[in-house]
Parts: sequence; structure tokens; C-alpha cells
Amino acid sequence: MNVVDATDRTEKQDEAEAPSLLTIILDTNPHAWNLLADTLPLSKAVANLLVFINAHLAINHANRVAVLASHSERAEWLYPTPAHSQENGAAKGSHQDGEDVDMGEEGSSAGQGGPVQSPDDANKYRPFAHVEHAILTNLRRLMSTTTPESLSSTPATMIAGALTLALSYISKQSQSQPAANMTSQFNYSDPTSVAGGNELNPSDSSKHHAALGLSSRILILSVSGDLANQYIPIMNAIFACQRLDIPLDILKLAGDTVFLQQAADASGGIYMALDDAQARAGLLQYLMFAYLPDQGAREHLIVPGEGEGVDFRAACFCHRRIVDIGYVCSICLSIFCEPLADGTCLTCGSHLKLSGYGQRPAVVPKKKKKKKRALEAGGMETPGSEGGTPAPA
Amino acid sequence: MASTASQRALDYLEGLPGTTFTRLYQQPSTALAIFRRMLPHLAKTIVMAMLYMPEPLTANSLDAWVKPDADSVGVKDRALSILQRLRILEEEGRAYKLAAAFAKSLRMALTGGGNHRSFGVPCSTPDEKPVSVDYLDTFARKQWESILYYVVGSANTELAAAEDISAGTKQLLQKGSFVTIRGRAATITDTGFTFLLQEVNAQIWTLLIVYLEVSSELQMDPVDVLSFLFTLGSLELGTSYATTNLTPTQQQMLDDLTDFGLVYRRTPDSTRYYPTRLATTLTSDAPALPNSSLSSTTTTDITAGAPQTVSQQQNEKGYIIVETNYRLYAYTNSPLLISILSLFSNLQTRYPNLVTAKITKASVLSAINTGISSQQIIAYLTTHAHPVLRHATPILPPTVVDQIRLWQIEGERMTAWKGFLIKDVGSDKDYEKAVQYAEALGVLRKEFRAKGWFFVTRMDQMSGYFKSQNARRRQEAAAAAAAAGQEGGSSAT
Repeated sequence: MNVVDATDRTEKQDEAEAPSLLTIILDTNPHAWNLLADTLPLSKAVANLLVFINAHLAINHANRVAVLASHSERAEWLYPTPAHSQENGAAKGSHQDGEDVDMGEEGSSAGQGGPVQSPDDANKYRPFAHVEHAILTNLRRLMSTTTPESLSSTPATMIAGALTLALSYISKQSQSQPAANMTSQFNYSDPTSVAGGNELNPSDSSKHHAALGLSSRILILSVSGDLANQYIPIMNAIFACQRLDIPLDILKLAGDTVFLQQAADASGGIYMALDDAQARAGLLQYLMFAYLPDQGAREHLIVPGEGEGVDFRAACFCHRRIVDIGYVCSICLSIFCEPLADGTCLTCGSHLKLSGYGQRPAVVPKKKKKKKRALEAGGMETPGSEGGTPAPA
Repeated sequence: MASTASQRALDYLEGLPGTTFTRLYQQPSTALAIFRRMLPHLAKTIVMAMLYMPEPLTANSLDAWVKPDADSVGVKDRALSILQRLRILEEEGRAYKLAAAFAKSLRMALTGGGNHRSFGVPCSTPDEKPVSVDYLDTFARKQWESILYYVVGSANTELAAAEDISAGTKQLLQKGSFVTIRGRAATITDTGFTFLLQEVNAQIWTLLIVYLEVSSELQMDPVDVLSFLFTLGSLELGTSYATTNLTPTQQQMLDDLTDFGLVYRRTPDSTRYYPTRLATTLTSDAPALPNSSLSSTTTTDITAGAPQTVSQQQNEKGYIIVETNYRLYAYTNSPLLISILSLFSNLQTRYPNLVTAKITKASVLSAINTGISSQQIIAYLTTHAHPVLRHATPILPPTVVDQIRLWQIEGERMTAWKGFLIKDVGSDKDYEKAVQYAEALGVLRKEFRAKGWFFVTRMDQMSGYFKSQNARRRQEAAAAAAAAGQEGGSSAT
């Protein structure tokens, strides 16, 4: 029974939801986009992405956005515009870890329209115009500074670098966000304890996520396939996301990226692959329907991709091969595709001993056999092949 | 988001006829502002998902999208209810679609383009003497505080002569019954007290809604007025805009809005106007009047992540420390804030930058007698709590908060709700279903199970529900009758 009593009125909650920061990593790998040119050219994808960004900004006044380009040999900020990119944007080397973008300064300068000034247009909401203009200008600059030599040197994309940049940006932003908002503080005196009132008011249910400060998520728009050579940094970024509760949403337009699927799975994000041309034509609808809801809304929605099989294969640390079964260092859990040459782990340097590979497990171990290094033990891959193992990369 | 400020605007909008909505939604800026300000979070998600959908979304697919637990379904039903009340969502059989005008305008707001000029026309030529954001803030604060002074001043006579406000504003305050004229002096009413204790943003909306109500009496078109207000909310602080594109009604509004401090014009016939922070935060949750430091962070500064904004946000509100022994320390020297505090506490000592006070039963009861609720006092103390208190959860000492509530409850044993009593629903099953539906909508107040009655606060959607139930029953009855007829026919042959 509902009890109409005076304590009811204390529950009028301010249900303002937490602002959310959306970091988008756009894979701008020219090789991959070239393959997609007839079904979904980059310009069209970017146009769709801009509408998506505006929709995100429209949802809440405090919502923020950051956009990164994961280019073929470097990761680059598209929005907000880094402060020093005008001076040495072109001179930046291929070493993506070396650039230390001073986001503190830059945040304020981009907001006031510092580096890139957008045209005045009475038919466009000004914040949208600022963001769009900055992204397009920076993307154009990125494309014009790409040299043929740098393109031919690598067919891959710098997802790991972009992820790292995104994470550092998110952590900086969430620190600058004032921590507790007052709305969540009201439930200390539970109405039931005051007057024995029975509360059945359903408006109470959604208060718990108001306690969050800034909820962040990352969306990767991926077009490139093979990322095995960046396995370690990607996995580190994924674990960081997992720990920080940042969902990694993946929208894959082309290529086969095992690790990104794992990333979405591990961090609680959404993974979808638009493999055929028809699905790609509906890019905007996919974005608006599946990727726009933030953490608050996802609590109430069934997100796509749940319950699908995830490929959990890993890449080895020595040759970046993707392996089903490998060797794992017992100290640091590094993965290797074949036994190591001198029994020293490439990552942590521990001395490892491998014995009796391929032998059937015996209840009583034969101590004598140990010395013979199991050469004749099994016919398959054995430590005998150690001559072929190259030195650590 | 359902904060108090937008709740006010929402209540007003709901009262408008459907045709007004269609005209309102012609402006992309209005569509965007209503979308951003009035809708609960899930409703926004649903609207965005449907925005580029070529076909109506069937109710079944929507149900499949939302998690099946009771909590989520309740949130969904409430979202749909608000969307329908604002005429954003239309029901077509068993499917939903967005209102065409709204969808078109929102799409245009997202993509830009068109020639609606609803986001304000900036002046093409730069001002010879540009007006700084600091100046605008000072101007807005001066104008707005003088209005508050007028309202408070009518309670404390020694403050009355602080500032004078225009005759039009005074009339407006009387119309909204914030003050009543007794003899020659204005006296504050309980609505006025409620008004004072609100946040600045809610205060503005409260006043603007009175303005809207008055404006329709003055033959001003409410659509014109509303869409101009929403346009103001989307303008950029520190930029000057041209008055040439405005309709005569809107030109007329500029004068009144200058009195409120929402708009700055150098001279009353200037062709350019500057929106102040009071105006640009109309459709957002950002604090409208920076309290201590006049900062230059624009409201459009989406990337505001620099460390200095943090300290500002802490300064912006928060000067009150409440202790568990009911003592209250307020770091302020503003007569306005002090007189607001004196509404519900006993002032004790005043230092150059600090006032000490004590919350007593007598002071709280006298506040309650003048029409202030305990909830308002607590909300005021919470929103203006000093940063030192903000580190703790809960912010205010629970003993004090509970005691303030108890003092109010002591005198109030009854609450009155306006609403509708529904009886004779039909079978027990029908009754059960109807009650569940009402509860999901959040309109159920009380049920009298033994009598088969229940009481709701809103009727429009319940009547829709009963209509559809009736229609279904009739259909089923018809189908059953047809089936029975056939059976009868076959047995006869």
C-alpha cells in the first residue's frame, strides 16, 4: 500500500545526469580508406561522424568531446586543437610517444576559438560550428602533411598511440572535474527510517549514477586490420580502461581486428562490424542508435553485441604472431610463440627452464630425463628449434 | 533533466495548445533547447535513435531495446510520457514516430544549413568599443540583484532603498504575486520567499514564465517570445548580435530583458545587443551568476578543463558552513545574502567578511509560517555550502537536516494533492493492470485496494490507456462473437 505521508516530498530529486566525455579515435589510415573508397569515402564518414558528435553535444550542455586521428605513422589530435600544432605540426616525427601535448593550456585556448576561428553563421549553433571547423581544419592539415614516403613505409595505423593519448586526456579531464555533485548527497535520511513511511515511489530508482563526476568513454572507428605488432601497448591501454571503468566502443568498418574485439569485451563496450556495403551506408544510424547512449542510458538499454563469441587469441611478444597455444613466462606472464633461445624471458629477464615439452604427464617424474632436454620426447615443436629463434626485437 | 528550473518551464509548455508546439518547433534553436533542457536522459537517447530512422519505431522494438526489469521499464514509460506531453512523439497504431516539425528542426540544428537564422545573427561589423565579459557579468549581476533586493527589501525595510528597478519589473513582480502592495510599500509574499531561495537559473525561469503569461495579455505572441528566449540561450557570451532580424515583439522584449539583466544594450535604440550570462545559461545547468570571481569562461567553452575553472566552480557557489550544533557561518558581506539567511536563522555576529548565525526551532518555524518549506531551506544550504563542507558526504550534518525536516513535519499532518479518483475499473485483473500502468508512469498517489479505487495526479495518459483498453476489449469481444457465430453455424449444418 502506498502511504501518503509528509516524508514523501523529500524525494524530489534533481535528476541531472553526469556530463560525459566522448573520445573518438578515427582511424585515418590512408591505405585502408583507399580500399573503402567506393562504398564509404572518408569524407562521407567524417560528415556522419560530425552529426554524431553534434548529437552527443546536444544531449547535455556539459558534454564534451575529443577527437584523435590514428594516422599511419603517428597519432594526432583533431579536437581540441593542440596549442603547438601550428608551429611544428608538420615537423613532428614518427615517434608518437615523444610528443607531450600540453592539454591544460590548450583546453582554454581552443574553447575561446584560439587557433582555429570558425565562420559566423546564424543558422548553426555556435559550439557545433566551432567543433566542426576545428576537426575539419586539423584533418585537412593532417592529410596535407602526409608524405608519400611515410605512407609507403608502413601500412598500419597508430591505434596504440592514439589510445594512450586518449587515456591521458581523459584522466586529466576527470581530475579537473569537481568530484562530488550535490545531488547524490540527499539519501542519508531514508524516509522509511524517519516516519515508518513505506516508499513505493519509482522515481527513487535512478539516483545512484548521479554520483559520478565525469563519465568517459572511447569510440574507435577502425578500418585497419593487422595490429599484432602493437599488441602489448594496446593490451596495456585496455587494462587501463578496464580499471578506470571506461568502455571502449568499437565500430569496425573493415579489416579484422582481434584485439579490438577483446578490448570492447574486457571494458564493457560495444563491438560491431559493418562488413558489407549496405551496412556501411547506414553508418549514421548505427552511430546514433548503438553508440550514442552513454553509461547512464546503457543501464536501461540492451546494448548490441552482448553474448557474441569473442576471439580471445593473443599475439606473442617475440614475433607478434597471433597464437592459439603459446608459452607463458611464469614470472611476468609474457607470451611467446616458441621456446626461448637461452631460457631468458625477453620481457622480465627471468631465467626459465623448459623441460619435457610434449611429454605425457607422469605421476612419478623421472629425474634422469631432465638433462636430456626432451629432444627425443615429442616430434612436434621442441626446444631443439632454438637455433632458429631470432634475437629479441 | 528534471531540475526545478526546467520543471517550471515544462509545466508551462504543457499547458500550450498543440498548434503552438508545431509553430514553436519550426525553429531549430527551440527544438534543440527543448531537447536539451526538458527531456529526461533516456528520452533524449530515444529521440536521437529515431531521428534518422526512415520508418516509425514499433512499440515492440522499443520494448525489446529496453531492459525488461521493472526499473528500466518505468524509466522508459516516463520518458515516453514526457515526449508525448511535449508533442515530440506521436503514436501511430502500435508504433511511434517523431513529430515531423520537431524532427526536421532538430536535424537542421545538428547539421546546420537552412535559412532560419534562429541561432542569432552576429553583428557584421565589430563594435568600436567592445564590451568585455567582465562588464557583462557585472551588469547582469547588478540588474538581477536589484530585483532580488526589491523583493527582499520589502521584507526588511532598512534594505529597501538599496536599488531601484523599473516600473515594468515592479508590475511583473506583483503579477507573479512575489510581492503585494499594502498601502504604498510592497510586502513580500510566500511565493516571493520561495522565489528568493531558488537558484538563479530557476529564479529567471520563474520570472520569465510570469512574463510569458503577462505577454499574452499584452497581445504579444507567446511563440515569438518563447523562441526568442530559446534563441538567447544558444547565443555566445561576449559577442554582439544585430537587432535588425528581430520581429517587433522581440524588439519590444529587448527592453524588458535589459531591465532583467539578460541582455545588455548600450542605448535603448542601439542596433546591437549583447546577451549576458543570465541569458546564455537559460538552457543549461551552468551557474548563471559567478558569485565571487568574475571569470571569463564562456558557457560555450566545452573544453573547459583547465585547472583554473575548477577553483572558479568552487568559488562560484558556497559560502555557508553548517555545524552539527546548528551554528551557521557564512562568508559573505552582501546584504542580500545576509537578509536571505535571516529569513530562517538567528543572526548573531557580523564581521567584515563573516556572519555567524544559529538555526533554531523558532527561526525555522517562523520561516515555515511565512511559506518557506524545510526542503527549500535545506536545498539552499546545500547548494551554497562552503567547499570545505563539500568534501564530506553528506554535505550538511544529518542531524541538522533531519531536525529541520522534523520541525516542519511537526506542524503538518496532512498533505493535499490535486488529482483524479478512478473507480469501477472492472475486474480485479483490469484493476491490477491499470494500477501498474499508473505506477510506471509515476502518477499513482494512493490506492484503495479494498474498494477497487485508486488516485492519480494526472489523467490525460490514463484516459488514453483506458480508451485503448476498451478498444481492445471490444475487438476481442467482436472476434469472440465472430468465432462463436462460426461455430454455431458449423454445428447447425
